[in-house]
Amino acid sequence: MTEKQLSPELFELATERQGDMEKINRPSLTFLQDAWLRLRKNKGAVFGLIMIIAITLMAIFAPIMSDRTYKQQNLQHAKLPPRIPVLENIDWLPFNGKDMNGIDVYEKRGVKEYYWFGTDDLGRDLWTRTWYGARISLYIGVLAAAIDLLIGIIYGGVSGFYGGRVDNIMQRIIEVLVGIPNLIVVILFILVFEPGIISITMAMVITGWVTMARIVRGQILKLKNMEYVLAARTLGASDARIIGKHLLPNVVGPIIITTMFTIPSAIFTEAFLSFIGLGIRPPEASLGSLVNDGYKSIQTFPHLMMIPAFVISLLILSFNLLADGLRDALDPKMRK
Amino acid sequence: MARYTLQRLIYMIITLFIIATATFFLMKLLPGSPLQNQEKLSPEQQKIILEKYGLNDPVPVQYVRYLGNLVKGDLGVSFQYDNRPVTQLIGDRIGPSAQLGFQALVFGTIVGILLGVIAAVRHNTAVDYGATVLAVLGISIPSFVFGGLLQYYIGVKLKLLPVAFWDGFEYTIMPTLALSVFVIASIARFMRTEMLEVLGSDYILTARAKGISGFGVIFKHGLRNAMIPIITILGPMAVNLMTGTLVIEQIFAVPGLGEQFVRSINLNDYPVIMGTTIFYSALFIFVIFIVDVLYGLIDPRIRLAGGKK
Repeated sequence: MTEKQLSPELFELATERQGDMEKINRPSLTFLQDAWLRLRKNKGAVFGLIMIIAITLMAIFAPIMSDRTYKQQNLQHAKLPPRIPVLENIDWLPFNGKDMNGIDVYEKRGVKEYYWFGTDDLGRDLWTRTWYGARISLYIGVLAAAIDLLIGIIYGGVSGFYGGRVDNIMQRIIEVLVGIPNLIVVILFILVFEPGIISITMAMVITGWVTMARIVRGQILKLKNMEYVLAARTLGASDARIIGKHLLPNVVGPIIITTMFTIPSAIFTEAFLSFIGLGIRPPEASLGSLVNDGYKSIQTFPHLMMIPAFVISLLILSFNLLADGLRDALDPKMRK
Repeated sequence: MARYTLQRLIYMIITLFIIATATFFLMKLLPGSPLQNQEKLSPEQQKIILEKYGLNDPVPVQYVRYLGNLVKGDLGVSFQYDNRPVTQLIGDRIGPSAQLGFQALVFGTIVGILLGVIAAVRHNTAVDYGATVLAVLGISIPSFVFGGLLQYYIGVKLKLLPVAFWDGFEYTIMPTLALSVFVIASIARFMRTEMLEVLGSDYILTARAKGISGFGVIFKHGLRNAMIPIITILGPMAVNLMTGTLVIEQIFAVPGLGEQFVRSINLNDYPVIMGTTIFYSALFIFVIFIVDVLYGLIDPRIRLAGGKK
């Protein structure tokens, strides 16, 4: 052990750097930036997000890019199996234009064109129809979620903020609505009004907004007694301003999460309605109605059901994964 | 507790009344006539038929009569099956549906609990991730897609089980499987979270410190407490099974209530649609009621908001 002489030069004055200790070196993050950082770490959520973006882009652009429309029929080209250039050379992939018995239908019928996902019994191109159907399914899902959001926020916000008798009455109404099975209302509504995008969406909204209203109300009830709200009130802020500027921004997390769970369930409900014959009417198509149509000929032309079924499952899965990830990212307290 | 139960009972009745009323007036709005071959019937014949079913009376009279019959448990008679009472129709059809639902619930709960417990015990291992992926898939894949795939691969391709119809236990296997996927997935997810929370609590540590075997701790101390909140997802589960039976019975040609309901929708058989709607709603509301009351009874830690007042 060597002995070391301590000399005054080795020391520095501490006081000079005292200010630096309080310095914040990392840039401060906003709520959403923070959430995004957490979300990015969740592999499932990132996968879901990428898939949703991919399917949305395909749903928007694939029908535009294709030179066939979703309702264009060509009976000479009916019931063709899928055939995709390049992939057709790989034997074990189902994209080689061969049917169940291994016969190359394209060669037999002398079809030169490629139908990437094959065609249905009226010779409509399944590629275009699948992406067109995805467009309708997404549209219904997002629209239903958006209307739920709007009604839910207003209703829940007013009910939670004003409390007292207003809240009491509004809550009694909700309690009655909650007891009504969603499915029954949807079926009855569609029976009365012809099935279409708007009627299907409206049917889902009738009871759908209740969940959102309850969540917003619960959050507002929790937040409205906080000091900062009192401060805002003391400064003379109006009720509308307190709700819109001070309360709602703090409820954003639960609202986003609920919306993200509403979209896949709306897509599912639409598909379910199609399956019991109350969905979108042909020649229009949604993923659900395509699965339903395809199901009828599953034994002979399995691709007609498999492809839309795969897309709809992937879409719902992606939304669920993203919603799970968002729940963990936006509200670490809720994380389990 | 008694007060809370009473309050819930009153809500239950109000909800049912609203459903019955809404169903009645929506059915009155429906396009299409229940008369078959309407153009072939003379106006007199039409009038006789309408008279027979009481469709000629003013709507309020029909409404009051309908409510009165409802209280007596009379749901009217079917148009499509020559005047068979709707209650009798439901009675004939409920068997297969109830059996499917029950089998799916029992099978799904057992498998789901096992899957969830295993995932929680082997937290953050490949087993856990595998179970989590399975559960997300189970929640995401629509039951009709899963049912169709099962039918195609197991029934048509492998010929292991009968493709459809209802003729003995082996016919129930595939529909039950298809129905139980959602039950398995949601219970497994729920069980895993609850179990993780319970396994981290102090009394589990105490039990382990006292030298109880790992198996005993998990099943005697952990599982019992983790299972309580499962009651809360029984409601959504009941709805899902109901929705499920509508499509699964279609796919597998099961002569159940769901299949009957879908057929009546397509045939404009109003009394059957109305009757089945009310039956389903009553069932659903009753399940929710039982769940709420049970929850308060089973876990004394939970003080119901309504009971405290």
